[in-house]
Amino acid sequence: MGSFAALLRKDLRLELRSGQSTLALFALSLLILVVLVFALSPEPRDRAEASAGALWVAMVFAGMLGATRALLSENENGCIRALAMSPVDPAMLYGAKLAAAFIFMTVAEAAAVLLVVLFFNLDFGPSLLRLAPPLVLGTLGFSALATLLAAISGRTRAGDLLLPLLAVPMFVPALIAGVKSSAAALAGAPFSAMSQWLGVLVAFDVLFVTLGGLLFEHVIGED
Amino acid sequence: MAAEPSSSNIADSTGASAPAMARLAPWLGVATLALMLASLFMVFEYVPTEAQEGIVQRIFYFHVPCAWVAFAAFGLVAIAGVFYLWLGDQIWDDLGYAAAESGMVFCTLVLITGSLWAKPIWGAWWTWDSRITTTFILWLLYGGYLMLRAMADDTPEVARFGAVVGIVAALDVPVVIVSVRLWRTIHPAVLVTRQGGHGLEDPRMIATLLVATVAFTVMFAWLLMLRFAQLRLRSRMKELRRALALAEASAGDL
Repeated sequence: MGSFAALLRKDLRLELRSGQSTLALFALSLLILVVLVFALSPEPRDRAEASAGALWVAMVFAGMLGATRALLSENENGCIRALAMSPVDPAMLYGAKLAAAFIFMTVAEAAAVLLVVLFFNLDFGPSLLRLAPPLVLGTLGFSALATLLAAISGRTRAGDLLLPLLAVPMFVPALIAGVKSSAAALAGAPFSAMSQWLGVLVAFDVLFVTLGGLLFEHVIGED
Repeated sequence: MAAEPSSSNIADSTGASAPAMARLAPWLGVATLALMLASLFMVFEYVPTEAQEGIVQRIFYFHVPCAWVAFAAFGLVAIAGVFYLWLGDQIWDDLGYAAAESGMVFCTLVLITGSLWAKPIWGAWWTWDSRITTTFILWLLYGGYLMLRAMADDTPEVARFGAVVGIVAALDVPVVIVSVRLWRTIHPAVLVTRQGGHGLEDPRMIATLLVATVAFTVMFAWLLMLRFAQLRLRSRMKELRRALALAEASAGDL
């Protein structure tokens, strides 16, 4: 646990001094939301659906480029090799990188939710709080998936090009569940309308956090 | 001289299976041809026309076997991935890669035959029905796997990446199935799928489906074996080259 805390503290300190991941995530989310407002210009009755969809599109595509900086920066100067050779449990290393991605994305998403409310003329109210469960669960699943796959794509010739090709199809179940439950939350539907989708998100998170923890050592290991 | 025993061992250990498979492959090819001709005869001559859907329904006898083969192939990718990560033997990576490529052919055929059937029956080439969507996501998942193999070098490291992606993708499929089904239950499709409503009451329909399933399975085994044997030869050549380079380097030292 000590190694987990030390790794996470290092990534958070780097982020506090440079702000690079969170700012990149926020800036990309902002641009994607602006593009989607122009593209969709939703009617008032479709607002909950459209804004939930826009929020998740922004999360997925901004996250694809920004969430895994804490992991990819380790590729510089071969730091990932040093980490792989150090006595740190690979599962702990994975957990720390996942936690860093999760924290950066959560901060950027909180800002993106405010933008969605402004851009789509929604109301500030208690319904926004009900966005929290799907967003937190979806972000956790996305961080777990992206951290594992970015460790792969970052070490191939194709690099960043490969990550969305691998990650987007795998994220589909969480994306469907996230958009549907977020739309229900924004439309003010009762919690029971969200519960089965939250169940899918929980299953997705459990699966990918477990798989990532088990398989990460094969991804960063040396021959 | 010291390097000679090791290089001949390498040739034995990885090359032995390739000639055996090369001998088996033509027989599988002949079996595929015979079974395919039999199932074509059964589909066009033997089986009665389904009452409600008419002649178009006959594509079902190719569509369902392709779907079975596609799912089985992608299961094989994941199993080979587990064995590769566990044992580290190149043979498992070659098997997984060959299964992914062959499975992709059948997964594409499922989508194409499904579209051909859907146009006259549902009135649209494509609907976001739960099974179509699931198959399409499967196609995208393994497309990602093949892109990884195509865009990366041919190293043990990338073989491990392929194994990881194959395992993760296969375990993702149940979650995809559940979420897509829920998505379509909440938003009912305009065109409702008939759950098992293909009317296989006639025993001749069942017989045709069985023969076609065997035919497609044997065809898959044939294609898999051809590609697998080719990948085995490639791995063998790489190991021989490495052994040769080592032998030359040690000869140079002397």
